Amino acid sequence: MNPTPATSQAGPLLVEMRDIDKSYGGVPVLKAAHLGVAQGEIHGLIGENGAGKSTLVKILDGEVQRDAGEVTWLGERPSLQSRADAARLGITMIHQELNLAPHLTVAENISLGYEPRLRGRLAGTIDRRREVAEARASLDRFGFDLDPRTPVRRLTPAKRQLVEIARAVVRATRLVIMDEPTSSLSAREVEELSRVVRQLQAGGAAVIFVSHRMEELAQICDRVTVLRDGETVHEGPMPRRDFAELIHAMVGRELRDFYPPRSCRPGEVVLRVEGLTRQPHFEDATFQVRRGEIVGLAGLIGAGRTEVVETIFGGATADHGRILIDGEPVAIGSPRDAIRHGLALLTEDRKRTGLALGLPVAHNITLANLGATMRRGCLDLGKEETMARDLMQRLRIRARSTRQRVGRLSGGNQQKVVLAKWLSRQASIFMFDEPTRGIDVGAKTEIYREMNALAESGAAILMVSSELPEILGMTDRILVMRAGRIVKELVTARTTQEEIIRYATLGEKENA
Amino acid sequence: METIPSDAPLTRAPAVTVERPSLRDWIERVLPYASVVVLFIALSILSPYFLTLQNLSSVCRQTAVITIIGLGMTLVMISGGIDISVGSVMAFAGICGTMLLQAGWHLGPALAGAVVAGAAWGLVNALIITVLKVNPFIATLGTMGAARGVTLVITNGMPVVNLPASFGKLGDGNILRVPVPLVILVLLALLTGFILKYTRMGRYSYVIGSNAEAARYAGVPVRRYLIAIYVFCGALTGLAGMIEASRLVTGQPTAGTGYELSVIAAVVIGGASLSGGEGTVAGTIAGAFLMGLISNGSNLLGVSPFWQQVLIGTIIVLAVAVDELRKRRRTS
Repeated sequence: MNPTPATSQAGPLLVEMRDIDKSYGGVPVLKAAHLGVAQGEIHGLIGENGAGKSTLVKILDGEVQRDAGEVTWLGERPSLQSRADAARLGITMIHQELNLAPHLTVAENISLGYEPRLRGRLAGTIDRRREVAEARASLDRFGFDLDPRTPVRRLTPAKRQLVEIARAVVRATRLVIMDEPTSSLSAREVEELSRVVRQLQAGGAAVIFVSHRMEELAQICDRVTVLRDGETVHEGPMPRRDFAELIHAMVGRELRDFYPPRSCRPGEVVLRVEGLTRQPHFEDATFQVRRGEIVGLAGLIGAGRTEVVETIFGGATADHGRILIDGEPVAIGSPRDAIRHGLALLTEDRKRTGLALGLPVAHNITLANLGATMRRGCLDLGKEETMARDLMQRLRIRARSTRQRVGRLSGGNQQKVVLAKWLSRQASIFMFDEPTRGIDVGAKTEIYREMNALAESGAAILMVSSELPEILGMTDRILVMRAGRIVKELVTARTTQEEIIRYATLGEKENA
Repeated sequence: METIPSDAPLTRAPAVTVERPSLRDWIERVLPYASVVVLFIALSILSPYFLTLQNLSSVCRQTAVITIIGLGMTLVMISGGIDISVGSVMAFAGICGTMLLQAGWHLGPALAGAVVAGAAWGLVNALIITVLKVNPFIATLGTMGAARGVTLVITNGMPVVNLPASFGKLGDGNILRVPVPLVILVLLALLTGFILKYTRMGRYSYVIGSNAEAARYAGVPVRRYLIAIYVFCGALTGLAGMIEASRLVTGQPTAGTGYELSVIAAVVIGGASLSGGEGTVAGTIAGAFLMGLISNGSNLLGVSPFWQQVLIGTIIVLAVAVDELRKRRRTS
């Protein structure tokens, strides 16, 4: 798809990425992507979760190698094999997960790798005084209110980001890439960041600002590029108020008709959450789920969706709020409590919290319900084998046997094993966190089929998903979260991808 | 190797990866047992004294102590932990048991006392690890020192003597011509094997060792089972302590010094991984006997005990290195 040609408010080009392809294990992440940034420009890069933004900038930063395409820097084609190559050109990247050494001071972090050395008698050792002085000069330049001798671990995320920026610009930087810099900042901190970014611009650097938050981008960026499914679908000046065109570019795709149909007859409320709060991740979550219903939890990275379901499941403790199951308030202090009350959670990261990869399929399947395999106080391995085989068949889990190590299965089959685990437990409230992430199309359909079957048999389902077509295809109602709050409840049959994204990026008030 | 970033879209992915147990995997699994057999044959050839009933029986008695502790350690290491206090706990339990004998108790109750003493330290270890959240190595490093210290305090550094001669039957006697320690070992090995395969405790040990977070999210009461595991190890260590004391009919406060190294070596050689999730009873027994044979062989062939230590240290390093290589290959 051809990108909208860039309007030339831009100055001379600093960097241009053209026809960039990148795949991981056969899965295309970027397809002929394009990005052009002019010198001294503040350029926004937006797109949904999974659009390829992170990958694209990581290619520019030398962290990831492109499969095809060219990167032009000031008219030349430099080698970008490593971060050192990128650094040499003057490209620095400030990651979402900050790369600071928490036990070192601000000054030590700023000069990390390039510490000023002494001459004379103590030649070679670090010149601490100069280190602090240089750090102070750099911080003062931006008006950062920081003492260079403070250990970084005592700083808030916002302040740490400032340290990263100071570190970035200490070495003549021509391009600063910021990856989702505002996901953990307050409104005031965002404003300070905008001021800093403009100062960077004044100092001659260009900035690529990766984000999905429209109003922030509107405050800061000169131009913007929109990525969707790995392709560049829009490039142009950043609108200040009317984001309709951008939002349409972010999501505009046809809904593929591949979600199995389901007859929805929701019963009584089985899960009710009131005022659930866990700072700083989310606050005041209030909603309910009924039997036979699938409720979607939509939103972009950092919205707090995973944290909500984790807290309901007892993986983390809430600051306050209530959870009611079948009308009765329950105290859930651990996953064990949650399970006892009929809850099940398929976590976002199945390898980290959902599976014991070194153990056989059968052992993973019966993990949450070992009691069902016991006979006279001992494990009945035969019974376990039968249970496992039945579930493998029902979910069409493709493995060599029930004894195969789960770590060897494909992503789709691994996820099915996680599902089998909860099916064997016969929970009544299922929470899915990104149920089809990293899964092939065939396995996805099978998981959808199973979710429908669960709902039809009376289970209540809460599904966190970043895939809008999935949310629209599978749910009855949608709760949209943004920056830790549920900003809107939508009826699936009456909403669109664009409406969801609008609430996910702009929140409630911007929607007149 | 590049990892797929979280923003990779969800489309077509390659089909199921099929696992074919390679020749290399098979060799690695069989290696500890094969080594024991090879060493056995080699020693039979190299020394005329090796294949005598007296020598073999001595090897069994010696190795049995390490192996029994090894059974407990196997469970601990499967769960992803480690217990380096076993040498000290063994001595402590031996002292407790022999002191009870000295006070006139019968063998049975005195044995029980030693087992309880060992289990008590196991409980202490478990609580430090689960409640104070100290990592197992450091926690048991602490109790290793503390247990040894307490032992020396209550004995004033002196051995416990004047024990009934019948006590010696535990370590030196026979049942139907089989050394008693060997009989005890076989029974405990069967018990441990059963636990690992057919009980919740065993199953949860593997899961906790493989992925404690996943276990927690699946509702496994991790803390409860870790306590059970360390208590089990402590109990077996206590029993081993009495067997050791019985061989000299003396309670030695300095017993077991350095044993933890041999026990851990046995378990690792037998196939357990330091990071948990793997390990078997048979493997531990093979590992322990491998080291027992090395020790015995070195004595028979006149190799200095100092060189023995170098040899054992080298084997431990090799065993762990092989384990690391295996793990890395498996996840690629």
